Parts: sequence; structure tokens; C-alpha cells
Amino acid sequence: MTAQEEDKGETASSRAVDAPGIRPRRRKVFLVWIPVATVIVIGCVALLLLLPIEARDKALRAITDGILLGGVYALIALGVVVVFKSSKVFNMAHGGVLMFVAYFIWWLLASVRLPLWASLIIVALASVAIALAIDRFIMRRMIGQSGLTTFFLTLVLGFSVIQGIAILIFKGSPQIMPKIFPSGSLSVGSLDFSFTWISAFVVATLMFLMFVGYFRFTRGGLAMRAVSESHVISQSVGISVKTISAVSWIVGCLSAAAAGVLLGSMFAVTPDIGSFAIVRALPVLLLGGMESIPGAFIGAFIIGIAESLTGTYVDPHISGFRELLPYVLIVIILILRPHGLFGLREIRRI
Amino acid sequence: MLPGGVFSTRYASDLAILRTKTQWLLLGLGLALLFTAPLFASSYWLSWLTGLGITIVAVLGLHVLSGLCGQISIGQAAFMAVGAYTVAILTTRAGLNSWLCLPICGLSAGLVGLVFGLPCFRLKGLYLAISTLAASYIIIYCIQHLPGTGGFIGLSLDPLRLGPIDLSSRAGVYVVTMVIMVLATVFAKNIQRTATGRAFMAIRDNELAAEVSGIPVFRYKMLAFFIGCLFAGVAGWLWAYYQLRVNPKQFGLYDSMWYVGMLIVGGWGSTSGVFFGAVFLRLVGVAVAQASPYLADTFPSLAQQIYVSLGLILSGLIVVLFIMLEPRGLSYLWEKFKAYYRLHPYAYWGSQD
Repeated sequence: MTAQEEDKGETASSRAVDAPGIRPRRRKVFLVWIPVATVIVIGCVALLLLLPIEARDKALRAITDGILLGGVYALIALGVVVVFKSSKVFNMAHGGVLMFVAYFIWWLLASVRLPLWASLIIVALASVAIALAIDRFIMRRMIGQSGLTTFFLTLVLGFSVIQGIAILIFKGSPQIMPKIFPSGSLSVGSLDFSFTWISAFVVATLMFLMFVGYFRFTRGGLAMRAVSESHVISQSVGISVKTISAVSWIVGCLSAAAAGVLLGSMFAVTPDIGSFAIVRALPVLLLGGMESIPGAFIGAFIIGIAESLTGTYVDPHISGFRELLPYVLIVIILILRPHGLFGLREIRRI
Repeated sequence: MLPGGVFSTRYASDLAILRTKTQWLLLGLGLALLFTAPLFASSYWLSWLTGLGITIVAVLGLHVLSGLCGQISIGQAAFMAVGAYTVAILTTRAGLNSWLCLPICGLSAGLVGLVFGLPCFRLKGLYLAISTLAASYIIIYCIQHLPGTGGFIGLSLDPLRLGPIDLSSRAGVYVVTMVIMVLATVFAKNIQRTATGRAFMAIRDNELAAEVSGIPVFRYKMLAFFIGCLFAGVAGWLWAYYQLRVNPKQFGLYDSMWYVGMLIVGGWGSTSGVFFGAVFLRLVGVAVAQASPYLADTFPSLAQQIYVSLGLILSGLIVVLFIMLEPRGLSYLWEKFKAYYRLHPYAYWGSQD
């Protein structure tokens, strides 16, 4: 127990991000990164302008697709980050919940034939119920267990239990989501984007900003950030850690639900959509840093663009490399920079 | 705990695995039963037992890596695939003797394991688990896309022969599997009792303390990865001759997940736990296979998917419940039962465990 407390004390002091002593170093970090990023962006734009017109279109197409995809990845990653921040549980069941919700809304729209608004409300309520059930009956018993135990627990929960239930109820065959967003496409210059992808991007970004606003500007969000710093201290200043944990699971499952609806309408609704999502969320989170919400946002765009670019330029030479990319990125990031771009550089993650 | 009246009078008796005559007798009977099973078991159960033996070999490797050294790996099935594909390629394309391939399979899987164990230089716990998860996908991708591996379809093998003896029958493969399983068990059990095994356990219990006590942590972690994947490679060799066909689909993430699940259900850090976990989860699979036709008749609307989904839900729930309620697993329950039985009129169980 004492060893644990010492450990906590050490990490707490190392993560006192707003302490005055640490601020100058942070600013220095930004001074290095901002010029580097600007130079890279300017270089890319210059390179694009130098290219012949078809090649430029191809590249632009890949980048914009990547950005649109990145918005949805950001939403997926957000749900995992929120739960990880508040309870140090890396939620591998996120993908399972996402898949379940995608099937559920498909069933409501296609079989029950409810109107869209009613289905959305029912789906939101269902995901809140799932969140509360997972939090109350499973995760509350696991408080204080190591991150590895909960990682494996949620892995089994998402990949096996929730997947099995979804297959049992919805048969598990691939389905096409009824139209939620307007069909057709928007043409800008020589590029055209389907409205589904644009709407998915807009919805994902709006939801992301909504959640971020909640963390930044409300009392609940403040309490949540406090809990992510230390459970014991938050409890002693009167924050109910149990409530915060439940709320973080609700936010996590709501983001999974939203991402499920979006991914389901961008691609098809299949049982694999859950592992697709969680596998994309992993490099995003590792790149952005597990504890950082802006990190998740930036990481999602980087991963989205990287995936789209490899899909355009590498896939013709090495078939299916696009599917492999997330895993390769996971290994590279873990070896080179385990704490990600914006994560906390804990003293003992060796 | 030991039965009453058994005392350690010499160091050798303190170290011995089997202490009493009853234990020797039971072991002898068990082995005799195991190797005479082809005479009386039906072909369904013989095949099931062969599959079980292969699973146990793979999980024993995971036991050395995760149970003893504390480095969790969610990629054991992929390392098994390396072994299975090594033998398939070497025998069909290079015409090598299949028995010569057995050590080569172990080595190749072990070396691949070393490559993916490298991140453990900097990572541990959750992050290492994620990197092995990625490793399992990368290996399967490479198998699907590299030339010479048969791609998505896989490869077929010639049946196993030992000189003039034909081992292609169910019973032949069964006996080979059981011999290897027993050898692997003895090996895994004895690792625990050597200096290497104690170093593994020291790393598992407290890495910093282990390093301070002079254990080269990184080297021992890599050794644990090598041994764990060596077992997986041997299991892959067995699998290739059990199915006579290798296919990337046979070594997915789910299999790796169930191997860790078996370790959890059985109980971390004990060889008997591996047996308990593997037998229990595979029996659940049999029960689901037996029950699903009846359930399909009762609920015709679910007939299509009931087998797949019931298996996923039941096995998953069992693993989840064990993590939540009894993380020490079945082997601990068994020890508790034995102690209760031996102490019967007295309820108190002393400090030994």
C-alpha cells in the first residue's frame, strides 16, 4: 500500500502540468514544434504545386479523404481517452459497443422502420444503459486492479461477449445502413466528396468539440479532470469518484454510439466494424498520448491522412498494405515514442 | 499443501515435484490411461484430446512467458502460425524430413518471438500487450501476402511418418501429440525450479527489485519470449500434422485471446493451472457444440447463429467472471478443496499455500 502511495505521489508530482516551474519548458517545446510543423506543411504545399495536375488531384484526394476519415477516428479515440483518463482503464470493449450500436440502429431503421430521430434517441438511451451496466457491474469491482487486467477484461468483453450478443440478436451478416445523410456528392474543383463522408466528418467534429467543451468549461468536466489526476485527492475534496467514473463511461459509450452510426453509414454494418474501429483508435491514442484529448484529435488526423496516402500510393504495389499500416504504426510508435506526442512522460514507463 | 506425516528431511525431497507414493501411483495411472486412450476412446474424443494436447503445449509457452515472467502476450496463436508454416514450407518446397523440422519450427518461432519481444526493452504491461497484439496481426498479414505461403488458401502437408511406421491415423497423431505434451510439461515444470525460473518470477514480482538484485532483466525477458514462442512453434508443428493443412484463418486474434483466457481461468503461474484452464475452456466448447442443435430446434429463429454466438458469449463470460471473482483461477480452487479435504474436521488452513 505504501509503495503504491509513493508511486502515486511521484507520478502526481511529475504530472503537475500547470506548476509554474514546468511552464517555460512546455513553451520551449512548442517553440521547437511549431516551426517544424510549419516547414513541413509549407514543404508539402510546395511539393503539391510542383506536381502535374493529375498527380496533384490524386494527392489532394488522398489527403482530403484522410482528413474526413480522421474526424471519425478522433471521435472513436475520444471515448477511449475519456475512460482512460478517469479510471486508467484502456477500454478495448469500445469497438464492441460501437459495433453493437451500429447493428442496433440498422435494425431500428431497417426492420422496425422507426423514424430517424426516434432511433437516434433510443440508440443514445441504449448506449447509456450499456455504459452504466459495464461501469456498475464490471468496472467498479475492478477498481485498483492493474491496467493490464482491465485491458484484457475489456478485450474479452468487447471481442467475445458483446460480439456474441450482437451476432445472436442481429445474425451477424453484413448489412447496408439505410440512408441517414443526404446522398449525392459535393464537387470542389476536380474533386468530389460524397455527402455521407462530409456529414460524418461534420457530425464527428461537432460531437468532439461538444465533449471537449464539456471538459473545459463545466463543473462536471473540471471534476473529471481532477479525478484523472488523482482518485484519492478528488475524493477528499468532495468529488464523487463513482459518479465521475459512471459519467466517463457514459461519454465513452455515447462517442462509441455516434461513431458506430457514422462508420455504419460510411462503410457497411458488419461484425468486424468493432475491431476495425479499435484497431484504428490504438495508433491514434498511442501517437497522441493516452491521456491527451487534443493529442487524440491531432493523432486522428495524422493517422487518417497516413492511411489514406498509403491506400493511394502503396496499395497498388503491396496489396492490402493499408490494413497493415495501423499495426506497423503501433509498433513504431511504441518503440520510438511510447508516451506519444502529447502524453505524460511518466518516469517509470520503462 | 502436503498430506499429514510427509516431512522434508533432505533438500532433494523439498525440491521434489512428487512427494508421496500415492502421487507416483496416480501419475503412472494417468500416463497409462493417456497413452492407451486410442484403444478405447471414440474417434471424436481422440481428435478432441489431440486438439487439447496442442493447446496445452501452446499455453505452456504462454505460461512461461506470462505466468512466470509476467510479460503478457496476445499473439501466441500467431507464433504458432510461424511454426506451422515453417514445417509446411520446408516439407513441401524443400522436401525436408518432418522430424528434422520440429526443432527448426521451435527455433524459427522463437526467433520471430525475439523480434517482437524487442519492444519490452522500453515497454511493459499494457503497452507490451498492445505491441504483441499488433505483432499477431503483422505476422498473419505477412503469411497472407508473402510469396510461397499459399496466401489466403494455405498449404497442405503430407501425413507424418516415422521411418517405416505410418503415423497418419488419428491414433498416431494423438500419441505423438501426447509424447510432446508430456515432454513440454516436464520442461515447463522444471524451468520453474531452476535459477532461470526464479529470475523470471523475480522479474514478474518486482522488476526494479530484480534488477537491483543483479538479474539482467532485459536478457531474461528476451529469454522468456524465446522459450514461450519456442513452445508455440512446436505446437504449430503439431497443429500442421493434426490438420494436415495450414491456413491463416486458423491462427487469429481470437485463438491468442483464448490462450490467455485459459491461463487466467486455470490460474497464473502454475503448470497445473494450464491444464485446468485448457481442459475447462475446451469442455465449454464441447458443451456448446452438443447443446446448440437442441437450442436451434427450440429457437428456430436463432438456428443460424446460435453455435457461434453461444460459444463466444459463454467462453467470454467465463473468462470475465474468473478475472472478476477468482483471479487465482481453478488451480487455486483445487488447492483449497484439497486442503479442506485433508484438514476436514478443522476449518483452519495455515499459512502454507
